[in-house]
Amino acid sequence: MSFPADTHQTQSSVDETECGWWQYPVLAEGLDEAVYDSDELRDSWKPFVGALNSLGKDRLERRWRDAQALIRQNGVTYNVYGDPRGMERPWQLDPIPLLLSAVEWDLIERGLTQRARVFDLLLADLYGPQRLVNEGKLPPEVLFGNPGYLRACHGLRLPGDRYLHFYAADLGRCSDGSYKVLGDRAQAPSGAGYALQNRLVLARMWPDVFRECGVQRLARYFQSVREGLQALAPHNRDTPSIVLLTPGPYNETYFEQAFLARYLGYTLVEGADLTVRDNRVYLKQLGGLQQVDVIFRRLDDDYCDPLELREDSFLGVPGLLQAVSSGNVAVANSLGSGLVESAAFYPFLPEICRSLLGEELILNAAQTWWCGDPQSRQHVLQNLSNLVIKPAFSGKRFDAIFPEFLSSSQRSRLIERVQARPSDYVGQERISLSTVPVLTDGKLRPRRHSLRVYVAGRPGGYAVMPGGLTRTSNADTSPIVSMQQGGGSKDTWVLASGVVSPFSLLPPADQSVELSRAGSDLPSRIADNLFWMGRYVERAEGLFRLLRVVIERMTEQTGYGDVPELPILLRALAHAVHSESEPPPSEIKDPIEWFEASLVPLLFDPERDCSVANTLGAVQRIASMVRDRISLDLWRTLRKLHLSMRDTGEDRSFRTLQPDEKQGVEGASRPNLNDVLEQLNDGISTLAAFSGLVAENMTRGPGWTFLDMGRRVERTYNLAHLLKNTLCKKSVAESRLLEDVLSIADSSMTYRRRYLAGLVTAPVIDLLLVDESNPRSMAFQISALMLSLDSLPRENSGPGRSPEQRIALSLLTDLRLLEIDRLTHVDETGRRAKFEEFLTRIVADLPALSNALAGRFFNHLQVSRHLARSTGQPPQ
Amino acid sequence: MILRSRHKTTYCYSDPVSLCHNLLHLTTRNTHSQFCLSSQVQIDPEPAAQVERMDCFGNSTVFVTIQSPHKQLEFTAINLVELTPGPPIDLSQSPAWDLPRGQTGPPYDAATMESWQFLYDSPYVSRDAELANYAADCFPPGRPLLQAVMDLTSRIHSEFAYDPKATTVATPLKHVLDSRRGVCQDFAHLQIGCLRSLGIPARYVSGYLLTTPPPGQPRLVGIDASHAWISAYCPRFGWVDFDPTNNIIPSDRHVVLAWGRDYYDVSPIKGVILGGGKHSVSVSVDLVENDEFLQPI
Repeated sequence: MSFPADTHQTQSSVDETECGWWQYPVLAEGLDEAVYDSDELRDSWKPFVGALNSLGKDRLERRWRDAQALIRQNGVTYNVYGDPRGMERPWQLDPIPLLLSAVEWDLIERGLTQRARVFDLLLADLYGPQRLVNEGKLPPEVLFGNPGYLRACHGLRLPGDRYLHFYAADLGRCSDGSYKVLGDRAQAPSGAGYALQNRLVLARMWPDVFRECGVQRLARYFQSVREGLQALAPHNRDTPSIVLLTPGPYNETYFEQAFLARYLGYTLVEGADLTVRDNRVYLKQLGGLQQVDVIFRRLDDDYCDPLELREDSFLGVPGLLQAVSSGNVAVANSLGSGLVESAAFYPFLPEICRSLLGEELILNAAQTWWCGDPQSRQHVLQNLSNLVIKPAFSGKRFDAIFPEFLSSSQRSRLIERVQARPSDYVGQERISLSTVPVLTDGKLRPRRHSLRVYVAGRPGGYAVMPGGLTRTSNADTSPIVSMQQGGGSKDTWVLASGVVSPFSLLPPADQSVELSRAGSDLPSRIADNLFWMGRYVERAEGLFRLLRVVIERMTEQTGYGDVPELPILLRALAHAVHSESEPPPSEIKDPIEWFEASLVPLLFDPERDCSVANTLGAVQRIASMVRDRISLDLWRTLRKLHLSMRDTGEDRSFRTLQPDEKQGVEGASRPNLNDVLEQLNDGISTLAAFSGLVAENMTRGPGWTFLDMGRRVERTYNLAHLLKNTLCKKSVAESRLLEDVLSIADSSMTYRRRYLAGLVTAPVIDLLLVDESNPRSMAFQISALMLSLDSLPRENSGPGRSPEQRIALSLLTDLRLLEIDRLTHVDETGRRAKFEEFLTRIVADLPALSNALAGRFFNHLQVSRHLARSTGQPPQ
Repeated sequence: MILRSRHKTTYCYSDPVSLCHNLLHLTTRNTHSQFCLSSQVQIDPEPAAQVERMDCFGNSTVFVTIQSPHKQLEFTAINLVELTPGPPIDLSQSPAWDLPRGQTGPPYDAATMESWQFLYDSPYVSRDAELANYAADCFPPGRPLLQAVMDLTSRIHSEFAYDPKATTVATPLKHVLDSRRGVCQDFAHLQIGCLRSLGIPARYVSGYLLTTPPPGQPRLVGIDASHAWISAYCPRFGWVDFDPTNNIIPSDRHVVLAWGRDYYDVSPIKGVILGGGKHSVSVSVDLVENDEFLQPI
């Protein structure tokens, strides 16, 4: 048995006085990476532990808190399928790295390089002449019965004749100190970006320790990645267009993909951003189509082309296979490479290696029996308790099964399943994985770990990342190491035997670079998202400002009766946040009662349409889709806003109100309004910071233009709605209402400076509608929109104006020609009919403008689908 | 005998389609008893890209891209083939189905290598005990393989009702087996599933069938349809075709378009479109002897 049930029984720890706070109780059984003979530190760990001790516990903990804040701020996440927190699981990193000596590393490096070479040649054989099957070195079913063998990819022409460009292996260390391969990743290995992120955090946390230990840097590996991808380009070798193809923001490692795209300088694209025309792949951009030379894919094999591969998914690019087979685009890894991830290959790999390379396999997998072979099946069924059962083929996924822990009925069901479809299963020897120290609750505890190591093809060979992603189990006893199941991660420090090369991916300052002012290289999807980000950010700001004025009025006075305009403001709010599932605002009888009941969901309920939480959630979601396009500061600002609102919402004490604090309606239960006010003020400041960053730090390219247009459209919309719901009817509280409206539209100061007299309707409306010098006025928004529209690239631009330009120009002209006196005239029924008519038109024209924009710039973001098929009919 | 086929497929859309990629299996292939004399596919509107290539089963496939906006798309495939059926096979001379495979190798011969392509699970057909069970009566120990397969063909023909409303392309085999209804494609999948579950390589054949008009009546235009049947691999005999829909061994009336593991590999037209709104499809197939007059449709 590999994992004793009583693992809490641990051996004596390292002597406390000798090692300062380093107290590490190792498990009674199995190998530990840091300690041997229960209390002797390994040589490779001595400098690190020494540095740790001289740092002292307090400083360590302070640094670690800072580092964790950095992870949270940067939004390093890992999406867990089916997790209620969904896309928000923060990345789990441990401050103690895994240390590996140069000697240990040498074996891993040679072993991994060899495996990459074997798998590359194996793919070439299986997708080509299939000699290994013909010569009996591989049972036919391992190939022909393997769902990972994609018939459509057989004989596909490949640039450079290489099948495997990226490869990773999960390694585990056994009790005897040897490494075993636990799994191979040969399609789109994930985690290299997390490894880099871990390194960035730890190198910042331990700059001194990092230098002293002589840790090998990761940058050169990523340089190899870039060289390797560049060399694949079928045309245009010097400046190939390379994109990183992602399954999208719902993928578990989307954060990493966006991070890598940024780091490597590639455009992050989803399948729908690409299109195949004339057997070539193009990226849909604002300025038109741009040919793509190399696709670095993070999409699994069968998802890549809905025409020729898996038909039930449109994550990929229809026609991609044809573009590859025409030699017009290179895809890395090559399509179909996932075949060799199958565990069914393991028993045959040593012989395959001899046959293909004439070498003995350096790194073996844990011993594996493929149940498709009758003798192996018998062995597996007779030794179930000592084995772990895994899927034999890469296409069929289920979690590893440890029969030892199954009840007898579960066990017999498993046996039945294996006997019914033996070739789908392998049995694998269980490895007692070595442990590493992990910091939990201020103490070091031993945890099982595995190490994922990355290999990238470069011209002439393979490069291995000197480091990797170390993953740890989530409990002392757990044999399972999986990020999906809540384990943690570590940085991996490979110690150099000589001097560490100071290589960095940042280019030297004196390198000559072709000057470029990036223009229209914006994918249409990104433009679409930025436009909507602008709209949602502005929607949030409008909502904050409206809520703030409402709550200010409620808290300034002793009773609600002292605020005569309150019902009108609350109705305006009800209109602004109206959702389809609610009764129409006109049916609200008592606005104050409505407000009391709606406040908490309006602030915190992400499910309620138009709520603050819902709007900020939308901002956050869109930001995560464009995060390779916005600056880290911008991202952090939005994230801060989202997190602070969420945290407050989850804080129960915020919601419960002491009886004596209640105002107005008796028995109402809602948060303290002063607390809410503070929260709103914070939010408005953060949004101001966002606007400042956008204004001062964002390049004035199409990206900025779309973000800005979104804000202008939404601000016009907000303002039109506000005026329509407050000033169209003359009311007794008009002057107070004017003050509120000015305050919501952030124009009070301007008004007071200009008009020393009291509040009068006509000048207020002039300031808010027509005054183009007021950045909050409607005319200012439309005029800015006009400028933006004129600056956008357009295909086949004719001499006339486009529909969206015409709408904007007509709006602006009308605004400029407004006669304020006629507009503010109150008729005998107490209404301002002209004013209402004008605002109604604005509200109606804006969606038309928005749609015209979408029609021009985002229309090729249509969704692909399959043609209907006719089924065979029999002859009559 | 020389036969001419015309297979016309028309898609109509409510909105324009801006981009369309298609993969066609509409070209007749050569077999030991069929020679393709000429073959052409007319496509309207004119494709921007059209590439012919060979798939891994040796079928000729055509990849087509249409890049101009269109509301109607039409494929017309015309094939001229000469059928040279061999003498009838004496099924009783085939080796027993449960005889240990006397494979020579390694290295294995090409026929054996090829047969393995069709021995395991495929997208629409998975082996299981229930299928093996259904076929068991036809496969008593020691029975000649081809005789047993013919018996299974007859059994499916007699026990299953032809019912185009009962199934779609996506209907699982289990449902077909339970409901005992389906179309030629379902019967072919079913028989393939039975054979593979017993360890016999079986493939899906897509093609056309020559129909005979009732005596004294002229042939109606466009009433035929694409058809499907199976082929089973028998050591020494090679691949032998069986048509479970019609309970016959195809000879001089079946024209082969393509074969694969199942319908997934050889569906006549696959396509992915951008735009299009609602769409409808109509298909007409004619198969006539070459000297017959083929009316324009």
